[in-house]
Amino acid sequence: MKRILHMAASALLGALPLSGVALQCLAEDTFSSEQTALMAGSCANCHGTDGRLVGSVPTIAGRPAAVLEARLLAFKRDEVGDATIMDRIAKGFTDAELAALASHFSAIDPQADDATDTEQEPQE
Amino acid sequence: MTKHFQRSALDRRQLLKGLGAASLLPLIGGVTPFTIGSQHAGQVVVVGGGFGGATAARYLKRANPAIEVILIEPAEIFYTGPFSNLHLAGLRSMDAISQGYDALQDRHGVRVIHARVEDVDAAAHTVRLSTGRELDYDRLILSPGIDIRWNALEGYDEEAADKAPHAWKAGAQTELLRSQLLGMEDGGSFVLVAPANPFRCPSAPYERASLVANFLTQYKPKSKVLILDAKDSFSKQALFMEGWEQLYGDRIEWVGLSGDGRVTRVDADRLEVETESGIVHQADVLNVIPPQKAGSIAERAGVTDDSGWVPVKPETFESQQVEDVFVIGDAAIADPMPKSGFCASAQAKVVAAAIAASLESRPAPEAYWTSASYSLVGPAYGISEAGVYRIQDGNIAEVEGAGGLSPLDAPEATRALEAEYAVGWYNAICQDTWGTQP
Repeated sequence: MKRILHMAASALLGALPLSGVALQCLAEDTFSSEQTALMAGSCANCHGTDGRLVGSVPTIAGRPAAVLEARLLAFKRDEVGDATIMDRIAKGFTDAELAALASHFSAIDPQADDATDTEQEPQE
Repeated sequence: MTKHFQRSALDRRQLLKGLGAASLLPLIGGVTPFTIGSQHAGQVVVVGGGFGGATAARYLKRANPAIEVILIEPAEIFYTGPFSNLHLAGLRSMDAISQGYDALQDRHGVRVIHARVEDVDAAAHTVRLSTGRELDYDRLILSPGIDIRWNALEGYDEEAADKAPHAWKAGAQTELLRSQLLGMEDGGSFVLVAPANPFRCPSAPYERASLVANFLTQYKPKSKVLILDAKDSFSKQALFMEGWEQLYGDRIEWVGLSGDGRVTRVDADRLEVETESGIVHQADVLNVIPPQKAGSIAERAGVTDDSGWVPVKPETFESQQVEDVFVIGDAAIADPMPKSGFCASAQAKVVAAAIAASLESRPAPEAYWTSASYSLVGPAYGISEAGVYRIQDGNIAEVEGAGGLSPLDAPEATRALEAEYAVGWYNAICQDTWGTQP
């Protein structure tokens, strides 16, 4: 029953243009930004720092939160036909965590420079 | 050391304007000006510039740019273990598995010192470098990788490795094994001696056997690969064996522990190995992957236990034995996470967050680790194993229902896609670790 309700809620959210905003609010309520950033850390190992790398593995930075979330949930529920590894990884996260990750990556500018914003010191 | 020597950023800029950086240096050169120009948020020394250490350094600066991060790594060029098997098979140059430290230093605010750490004084919170210099730390991260247990396997010492390379630390050993493979007569036998668990990168011996077989199929088709293994099962075994049969027929023979696969003596001069029951196998090229332990600085720092590896607190990877010393990567006991570059990187991010929080007296965020391990059975035939890990009842545990292996009997297109993703993964993790663009 819980699952059916959830699916109905997802379907409803998916149909609404506001869903991205709603999900972001939910995510922010649930996890601190530090917590979400840590949860997202391992994603960079295949998708590049902050999910911005362009290559054989799809870029995830800057994609709409609703799209990312739907994709992650579909991986988790074995609804992606050509899945290779993401189906196995998505199953390790709760729906709320996947929503937080989706919102985290959607807020990243895919074109931004990845240098840490620190003042440079004289060289050794 | 004048760790607390500070000056405001404004003062420094004015000074630099007036004097120029070059003329300023002699004035302050003797006092280690690591904290000039930033609010002092603590100094973290990171030992080892591989996947664990370099990632930790970079992610500490991301977490808080005011933390002074000093990365100590002897080599100016780091050769990655991942994809070094492609070099053996002639499918990737050494240059394409090399990484440098310029981006970390120039773009990401990490101070890189190319030296060896000789000793750690945990009570004084200092490390001593091969240059004689001492550095203070508030927190120390050790990511020293592995060292070989010389003579743990009879006859296998440093000299033997010049004749029967391990090639388990990428670099000169990789090139040596490649040249031996190139020089081998067609019809020769490539013997790979695989160790018991635990060891660095559990699927890599079998990827190596695969890619060597790929090379032999093309260039020395009468040759064989024999794996003599000290265990009865290995990482991704069913997937490897399925792939071997499909791509290489019976070119690769694997002999496990109960089939008398455990090698007990190596004669590197004669390229012979002897198994438990006394059978001697003659190799034309002999690749001995010997027993291993945590990189030696871990032992000097007093963080290893009797196993030779490092017990850590699961939530933060702080040493169980020495306060303020954190140990990540292959050196740490992190079961059920495998010893891999991917996991070293995942651990580095958790440690960076935990240290950044502790320097501000905040609790560490909850730890999450993900692992994806790709292996190439052939250049267009990839397989993988994934895992998601969290703390459960105070231990690192695999999240149930997640992770696992690529399916058996998968279509060619799936294997090809995973081989492509393996390359994508390699490019991404190197970019994320060293800040370089692929």
